Amino acid sequence: MMKTFKIGGVHPNDNKISRNCAIEVLPLPQTVFISMAQHLGAPAKPIVAVGDQVKAGQVIAEPGGFISAYVHSSVSGTVKSVAPRKDLSGNLMTHVEIAVEGDEWAEGIDLSDTLVTEIPTDKAETLKKIQMCGVVGLGGATFPAHVKLNPAPGCKAECLILNGAECEPFLTSDNRIMIEKSKEIVIGAAIMKMVLGGCPAVIGIEENKPEAISAMSKAVAELGYEGISVMKLKKKYPQGGEKQLINAVMKREVKSGGLPISVGAVVQNVATSLAVYEAVQKNKPLVTNTMTITGDCLPVEKQHNYLFRIGMPLSYIAEYAGGIPEGAAKIVSGGPMMGKAISNLDACTVKGSSSLLYLSEAFTKRKEASACIRCGKCADACPMGLEPFLLNKLAKNAMMDELEARSIQDCISCGCCQFTCPANIPLLDTINIAKGQVMGIMRARAAAAKAAAEAAKAAPQK
Amino acid sequence: MDITIIWTIVVITLLGVTLAAVLFLVARKFRVEEDPRIDEIEKLMPGANCGGCGFAGCRAFADSCVKAGNLDNNFCPVGGNETMKQVAAVLGCAAVEQAPKVAVIRCNGSCANRPKVNEYDGLATCRVKAALYSGDTGCAYGCLGCGDCVAACENDALKMNPETGLPELDEEKCGACGKCVKACPKGVIELRNKGPRGMRVYTSCVNKDKGPAVKKACAAACIGCGICAKTCTHGAIVLENNVAYIDYTKCKLCRECEALCPTGAIHGVNFPKPLDKDAIKARIKARNEKAKEVQE
Repeated sequence: MMKTFKIGGVHPNDNKISRNCAIEVLPLPQTVFISMAQHLGAPAKPIVAVGDQVKAGQVIAEPGGFISAYVHSSVSGTVKSVAPRKDLSGNLMTHVEIAVEGDEWAEGIDLSDTLVTEIPTDKAETLKKIQMCGVVGLGGATFPAHVKLNPAPGCKAECLILNGAECEPFLTSDNRIMIEKSKEIVIGAAIMKMVLGGCPAVIGIEENKPEAISAMSKAVAELGYEGISVMKLKKKYPQGGEKQLINAVMKREVKSGGLPISVGAVVQNVATSLAVYEAVQKNKPLVTNTMTITGDCLPVEKQHNYLFRIGMPLSYIAEYAGGIPEGAAKIVSGGPMMGKAISNLDACTVKGSSSLLYLSEAFTKRKEASACIRCGKCADACPMGLEPFLLNKLAKNAMMDELEARSIQDCISCGCCQFTCPANIPLLDTINIAKGQVMGIMRARAAAAKAAAEAAKAAPQK
Repeated sequence: MDITIIWTIVVITLLGVTLAAVLFLVARKFRVEEDPRIDEIEKLMPGANCGGCGFAGCRAFADSCVKAGNLDNNFCPVGGNETMKQVAAVLGCAAVEQAPKVAVIRCNGSCANRPKVNEYDGLATCRVKAALYSGDTGCAYGCLGCGDCVAACENDALKMNPETGLPELDEEKCGACGKCVKACPKGVIELRNKGPRGMRVYTSCVNKDKGPAVKKACAAACIGCGICAKTCTHGAIVLENNVAYIDYTKCKLCRECEALCPTGAIHGVNFPKPLDKDAIKARIKARNEKAKEVQE
């Protein structure tokens, strides 16, 4: 029997229309705008000035904190400006504007297709390389990879899980790289395995990607690294959620507020594995990624999987792909379940960009909400075992203590509750806001407790 | 039969008397001495329990006043100076006068001034909208138009104007409790001094972007040109983050800034006469020429 996670989950139509579109390389635009916030954590600090000449793969920004990442130039050219610019949702973020001149790469970067199968043995050096190349998790959260691959002392990784679930409908970029770059991904897994101390690695792929499963299995068999296996998973959303995938693969549950490493798991996306391979074996920083151009109102022949460089304006990509289709009511970056609606097409691609999704009005328009009849469907669908209908009510009445007692902080914002609600109640909208407030309260409390503990420690010394 | 009834009456009566005596004694022994002035002050309060004073309700405010024994840090914005005078009389201390305040909505972004660039289809509250993105207009700072302030107002002073898409304030009803200020995720609403006879001048914009970007987003926004700050003879206007802020404690209501503002972002309200731009401009010109002469 195929494995999947235990509680909750929904089955949206997977709509993988672009699954057979091979990855194409996008030509370079005239200008790129590279954002300083391409990762979870503190924004990076730019280290280039206007007028500087940069090459592709050159560092242009340094990490702004412990949880932060290097940012590299994706093109060669001249820095035109370092200024705030609107991102996807219209909020300002510092971008480095580079006018493209030719396509010259920084020294030491291997751009050839030759496979480097030899796995390095120096852990610290490999981690350093991953960090210097600005590799972040490409599954959606863009958490800096070197932080996750370096568990806190006392924690031991027992299993590396490669996330090839791609449970979001429409998206096919992970599917394509698993088919076209399967060997590179497996080598990347072997490298991460070595860094984590040789724990077994499992590549979890949902059943709706048979080509990817066979390609990956073949690559694993041909390369012959020890302890790497492919696991076919039953199709269910949100299988690609970290905690859900751990539950599906290892049958373990991460407790509330815990990190995956507490149950011995490290989860990385297959695209991250590819980025790790390129960083460690080819010295190539994370400046390219794959994105899907798809949607329910886009004809099949206009659907694509593109290899893009970070900083390309979305409008440029949309135009190159044939313009915005007629009948598109909403453009989404990411999948239809968790993606973000794009309000500003002048925004640029970032490391974690995964799609340009055109949705028709019929697909995306919200229906009018009616009253909750407490049918409990949302509670059944919640993969974290929460009661969204109750959280919604508590949130509306701002009952923070009760919300915390009902574990609102465990919500992963997957949207299963809202997807399944027969009354079309916008549950996630309210819950997301309340979650932010509750987590703010919890953080403030933790900070106060820490300060009090430090004060108590300092007092006897006086 | 009769005896049973009589006994019942006797027993119940005795029981009642005994328990009443116990209750009386307990109430005496454990009585909480409360200053009668608390009740007195509470009666003077508007009774809205709005929390505008910073306390949980009117009684909590009264309690705090009596405990402090003075009114230095206590002020009921809804009751205003009149109520506070009465409270001061009860406490036998000096009343602290505060200029009456009023909520001011600092956004000009009506549908005509600030065209929509996308359509919002999510939950219609400003809070959710602000958490999702910068809003359905080109301006990332102004009113989001979902009416969280209207929902927060307990005095029924705010109404959404469907034509402009902005909230409108009924000054008579506004108690300056500050609930709308807290409810607005964009910080558009400010409590400002009501001014003499309600006259006040303020910048009706909070957009911190630079001029060209602001102009593109909204026709009546503050573009941060600084003409007002340069002209103001009272030093009341500060240009910060590309927005001119008028300090209501320094403003002398001369309306020169309002006349000069190229976009009409500065508003003067409740003035008896309409703004005579030409007269004011002539006045400024004459003053500048005079200053030049003096310099020469």
